[in-house]
Amino acid sequence: MASFWTIFRFSSWRLRWTVLGWGIPLMLLGLITTPFYDLVAENERQLRPVIQSLKPLVKSFIGGKEAEEIFTPEGFLALRYFAFLPIILGMFASVAGSGMLASDEERGILDFLLAHPAGRAPVFFGRLLALCAALVAILGLGWIGLWCGVWRADSLHFPPGQILLPYVSVLAVSTFFMTLALALSMMMPSRVTAAMTTGFIVLAGEIITSLAKAITQLEAAARFSPLTYFQAHAMRGLHIKPVLGLLAFALLFSWLAWIGFQRRDIRVAGDGGWKFPFPARRKKGHF
Amino acid sequence: MMSKVCHSAIRVENLAKSYGGFRALHGIGFEVQRGEVFGFLGPNGAGKTTAIRCMLDLIRPSSGLLRIAGLDPQRDPVAVRSRCGYLPGELRLDENITANAALRFFRHLRGGDSACRRRAEALSERLELNTALKIKNLSKGNKQKIGIVAAFMHEPELLLLDEPTSGLDPLVQQTVMELVAEAQQGGATVFFSSHVLTEVQAVAGRVAIIRDGRVVEVATTSDLSARGTVEVRVAFADPVILEKAQLAGLAGVELIHSDDDGRFIQLAVTGKMDALVKWLAGYPVASLETRQCGLEQAFHAHYGSEQEPAGRH
Repeated sequence: MASFWTIFRFSSWRLRWTVLGWGIPLMLLGLITTPFYDLVAENERQLRPVIQSLKPLVKSFIGGKEAEEIFTPEGFLALRYFAFLPIILGMFASVAGSGMLASDEERGILDFLLAHPAGRAPVFFGRLLALCAALVAILGLGWIGLWCGVWRADSLHFPPGQILLPYVSVLAVSTFFMTLALALSMMMPSRVTAAMTTGFIVLAGEIITSLAKAITQLEAAARFSPLTYFQAHAMRGLHIKPVLGLLAFALLFSWLAWIGFQRRDIRVAGDGGWKFPFPARRKKGHF
Repeated sequence: MMSKVCHSAIRVENLAKSYGGFRALHGIGFEVQRGEVFGFLGPNGAGKTTAIRCMLDLIRPSSGLLRIAGLDPQRDPVAVRSRCGYLPGELRLDENITANAALRFFRHLRGGDSACRRRAEALSERLELNTALKIKNLSKGNKQKIGIVAAFMHEPELLLLDEPTSGLDPLVQQTVMELVAEAQQGGATVFFSSHVLTEVQAVAGRVAIIRDGRVVEVATTSDLSARGTVEVRVAFADPVILEKAQLAGLAGVELIHSDDDGRFIQLAVTGKMDALVKWLAGYPVASLETRQCGLEQAFHAHYGSEQEPAGRH
């Protein structure tokens, strides 16, 4: 247990710049976005007909049927701020999740760490907890920025707790992608392929979820996109079931990653191939 | 059986490891007694690192038996690692932290007692390692010093050193050899993997020679040395005309090379040197240099012309 906390503390400390690097821009995004609501509210009479006149396909990229909710304070924050977070945090999750173990393994750092009296369980769960804590810290910084913006804006009046609700949904979606990337990094030949695959799933999910608002035939496909279960409008009330569903998948992915890590040969350069094993391309004496 | 388990620091039986279709270890076997320095000699890619990484449960053997201090590394990896100090040949560390932070982290993983901290400080000082610097600003040799400190700071009962002097300057190499000797005097077992013949010969009591994933010989270094010849280089103060027929008559002495100006000869001597020394007494000898070739010869015998050893002479 002592090594678990040692690894958690050390991993958290290593992630400090990552937290600041992602958290401060998120904080600024909140600060910058909120003053625009006053402008949107002032110009509602001119803007509403423009939005109404948009074709459904174009409208799907600014919220679809919910696009006109931009004139309400909750709708504005949902469409102009929270809607971007799963993409931004999804990218972070792809990189951070895939790199949690595989990055250090590929650099040969994990090899020396695991030569010390730390079991694989403390290394895995200590790092996973540190990564989750980093994600919470990034979202926390984002929440502080948004709350400061709301506090300064004339027409936005929300208690801090109400603003927090969509972040719970962002956290669930981000954890889903983070653990997916982690699981893939334990199955795929390199960290980069795991990050790329997860990133592709994030972007493809966003496109399908957006288009499904205009193209009804895509609604069935959108059910498989994790972003369909993201609740940008959670300030009006958070549905706990989708959150729990996403977290259940995150647990499943974590478990798969843990199984993979337990059984894994910790590799260093020269110990094994990093490419897919195409037998025809393999030369005698090389591996 | 019980005494075997108790007295062995390392016991390896039929250890095999495959990476897909490639067999890195073909059922190797050897036993290392507690308190001995055991050399593991082989060229790059022979399987030395694979064997050591199996011992630490970093990789899992395909088959075979492996016991470290009587423990199965797969069942009790943490117990095995807490008894071991490991130094890889190519140490990789997080580059963005200081050497001090890295050592503190490793110390905490080992329980973080103050004796361990004091020893780490003493070792850093002895190796002239500036622990305040970030690892990315350190040279390869200085990075390797962090590994040396991490391997020795807790006074482990078993040291697994995988080409430990790689990247180090001769002075630090000497310090590492001294640390190995001190560890042995303190009762530790040292498993010393290397492709450098001279350093293995200097520290190891016994040697296993590994080739293409197979242990081809396990013997004491003294046996291997005695089995081989002694290279003798003689420089004369004045040019001499050698009685070559007389030299050829000396038992076990073979002339390898002689200078045209009669000032230098190189000989290979098998067995006793007595006859040669007496014969040389008749000449104005300026200097006489001898070198044991046992381990090197054994190495060459097993590797033949396939691979040149990377020994430093």
